[in-house]
Amino acid sequence: MVLADVIKDGPAKAFMLCNEAIVRGAIEADVKLVSAYPGSPTTEILDTFSEAKPSFDYRMEISSNEKVALETCAGAAMVGLRTMTSMKSVGLNVASDSFFSLSYTGVKGGMVIVMADDPQAHSSQTEQDGRPFGPNAYVPMLEPSDPKEAKTMVKRAFELSEKFGVPVLMRTTTRVSHQSGIVETEKIERKPFEKLEWPHPPGRFVTVADSARKFKLELLERTKMIEAEFDKSDLNAVTDTGSEIGIIASGAGYNYAVDACKILDISPSVLKLGTTFPLPKKLIGDFLKKLKTVIIVEELSPYLELNVTAIAKDANPAVKIFGKWTGHFSEALEYNPNIVADGIGRVIGKKPPVDYAAAMAKADVLKKGLSDRPPTFCPGCPHRATLHALLQATKGTKHILSTDIGCYSMSFLPPLGYGDSLLSMGACMGVAAGMQYAAKEKVIAMIGDSTFYHAGLPGLVNAVHHNDDFTLVVLDNEVTAMTGQQPHPGSDYNAGNQPAKRLILEDVIRGLGITDITIVDPYQVKAAVAPIKEALGRKGPNVIISRRACALYADRNKRRRGEQILSNKVEKEVCKKPYTCIRSFHCPAISIDDDDRKATISKELCDKCDVCAKLCPFGSIRPREGE
Amino acid sequence: MAEKEFSVYMSGVGGQGLVLLSNIIGAACASAGIRALTGEQHGLSQRSGSINVHMRIGDGIRSPLIPVGGADAILSLEALEALRYIEFLKPGGVVVMNSRIQHPIIETTEHMKDKTAKYMSAEEVKSRILQVTDKVSVVDALALAKQAGNTLTENIVMLGAISTLEEFPIPQEDLRKSVADNVPKKAVDVNLRAFDLGKEEAYKGLCNIVKCRK
Repeated sequence: MVLADVIKDGPAKAFMLCNEAIVRGAIEADVKLVSAYPGSPTTEILDTFSEAKPSFDYRMEISSNEKVALETCAGAAMVGLRTMTSMKSVGLNVASDSFFSLSYTGVKGGMVIVMADDPQAHSSQTEQDGRPFGPNAYVPMLEPSDPKEAKTMVKRAFELSEKFGVPVLMRTTTRVSHQSGIVETEKIERKPFEKLEWPHPPGRFVTVADSARKFKLELLERTKMIEAEFDKSDLNAVTDTGSEIGIIASGAGYNYAVDACKILDISPSVLKLGTTFPLPKKLIGDFLKKLKTVIIVEELSPYLELNVTAIAKDANPAVKIFGKWTGHFSEALEYNPNIVADGIGRVIGKKPPVDYAAAMAKADVLKKGLSDRPPTFCPGCPHRATLHALLQATKGTKHILSTDIGCYSMSFLPPLGYGDSLLSMGACMGVAAGMQYAAKEKVIAMIGDSTFYHAGLPGLVNAVHHNDDFTLVVLDNEVTAMTGQQPHPGSDYNAGNQPAKRLILEDVIRGLGITDITIVDPYQVKAAVAPIKEALGRKGPNVIISRRACALYADRNKRRRGEQILSNKVEKEVCKKPYTCIRSFHCPAISIDDDDRKATISKELCDKCDVCAKLCPFGSIRPREGE
Repeated sequence: MAEKEFSVYMSGVGGQGLVLLSNIIGAACASAGIRALTGEQHGLSQRSGSINVHMRIGDGIRSPLIPVGGADAILSLEALEALRYIEFLKPGGVVVMNSRIQHPIIETTEHMKDKTAKYMSAEEVKSRILQVTDKVSVVDALALAKQAGNTLTENIVMLGAISTLEEFPIPQEDLRKSVADNVPKKAVDVNLRAFDLGKEEAYKGLCNIVKCRK
């Protein structure tokens, strides 16, 4: 986070993450309201807006979910302010109900929705391609390929949004969002924040039946006009080398294609698309007319390929189109320069100078015996302790664990391998409701506090209403931990450290009609087992709240207060090598000393949560003093 | 302007400060007028998992990801993570790796079951990497970070070490200024000390096997 560069007046050159460049672009465009829910790979947009907030007068909310965030932006944009929201592609699923309607009603003030896809599912439940949202909702869509372009496009998106009275989608992917590069900042010229008079006649933003039919005809006209503008837009770029071979690409695919051509030492013509809905059909048709072969480089679904194929039917039926349908590229996983070089190479019959498959096979031999290192719970993480207590409490009893989205999702990974289903934010309770009808086993649903507020509430309301028999475990660690410890409705502050009303989890749950609520402290790991066991033995719906702050969050607060992070060590004379600390706790701060085969604790990694000390049957784990 | 392209594959374990390190290098490039771009990892993978940053310097580069066999150097903040991405190294490229090992918890779980097993050591990692390049340098960054005054400065020790390479295209003064600009104010001296200790260490080790700046 290089906040100084984001808030400093331009013109200047700065090295920025794309997500920071997007924020800078919005600040230069005089954005007046921002609302978002965190989600990788867009989270740094929210974080940067939040950190920059004290320097500017935009209003901001870290919303309870993406739908609320989009609606908050919509409301302010209806009045006439410029607004921005950001979300990961699966976040737009949540927001999509209002997203579709908003395309019908339109907006007055400029509104930009940044949506990031996550090819490779680095931090997501699916590799969803968000691009069809553009055509499906008739919302114009722009795609930058690097931070510099992203900043420019944000400003253009606001202008476009106001010109046509429609929200604009800016679509990125992980490797665009999480790319840093040199960005040229401009002068920041902002007008003071002012509330406006509602300027509209009644019914202006009401879409249903008659008005929906009217809006639909209007938005079709609007889309035609935007397409005509995109046909001439400098957001699209043609590099005409006179070659009979051409490449059409956008976003990350464009970056890989350019480098792949260098690797292959070829110079095809290139059409870089920055506007991917509505597609500039004339521009694409004109590009195709000069070619015998065109290669489409895009990650995920064949969205461009399908459209280019349709456009070629009239523009140049003879052109040969290569992409996913011809088997040269995959619809799965993210690309990189070597994957694209291999694909293009196969089309044109030229091999890259490096045999990538051979290089990787050789590396695999060298890596024999090298352990994988999947993400895992941090030292001091309360989830690890909760999961240990839960496993102890359920020992010998068959049960199904319907889990949810958050750091605790990692419980299904090795070494724990614990968890039976995971669909989407807040899904654990709906799924648990179905399971308790169908399965003989006890059903446990598990959710984090932020996810509970995000989309878990309707699931619990439903369970209470229908008297569904499952136990819900809420992991309350005070923050939205996985995305970087942002505040949520259970926090007493919000974006930019504004004070906020803290919702009390057990009050909310009690308010929904559940009286059977058990609260445990996972750090008291042994004491937590019996109450959890008892709660699981009772008929649901009932709730167990496991409450302890996220260790990263707690450590950050400790450092701010000037407190030291202490650590434990293993008393070697006392340790009898039961390996309880390793076997049942899996903390990355603990390993085995190859000299004496006893457990050892890394001073640098230990967080002194003391949970392993409580579990050790010989009491060999003690505070590290005087080191 | 950078005439020559230079790509460093940087790796480590979540929490070691790899993203800060890439920000420092990138900001130094910005102030030196050198074009740089990165492909970074944020989010879930940072939870004590294996992480990497593709750092690319040069005017003509578009892709934030380094192709297989395309890295001029690997800079690893943890020994095992140097080997994990070895396919990205150009034949004969430079590897600068920390000797420190953080044993993955799933390795320890397996290790527990087999009394005769030994963990993979930094020496073992080095000997394997020596099969693809003769330019491997191991730095005890934790010891130097302690000497500098803060164990969290391992990343800056490693930056100091790699900055000595003749083909590393960023001037020393830009790097030092960027370190000072990007770490907390009260930690500037400690970090600059870490940078210098990394450099000194490189002149004793790395620079005997690779061409370094004078």
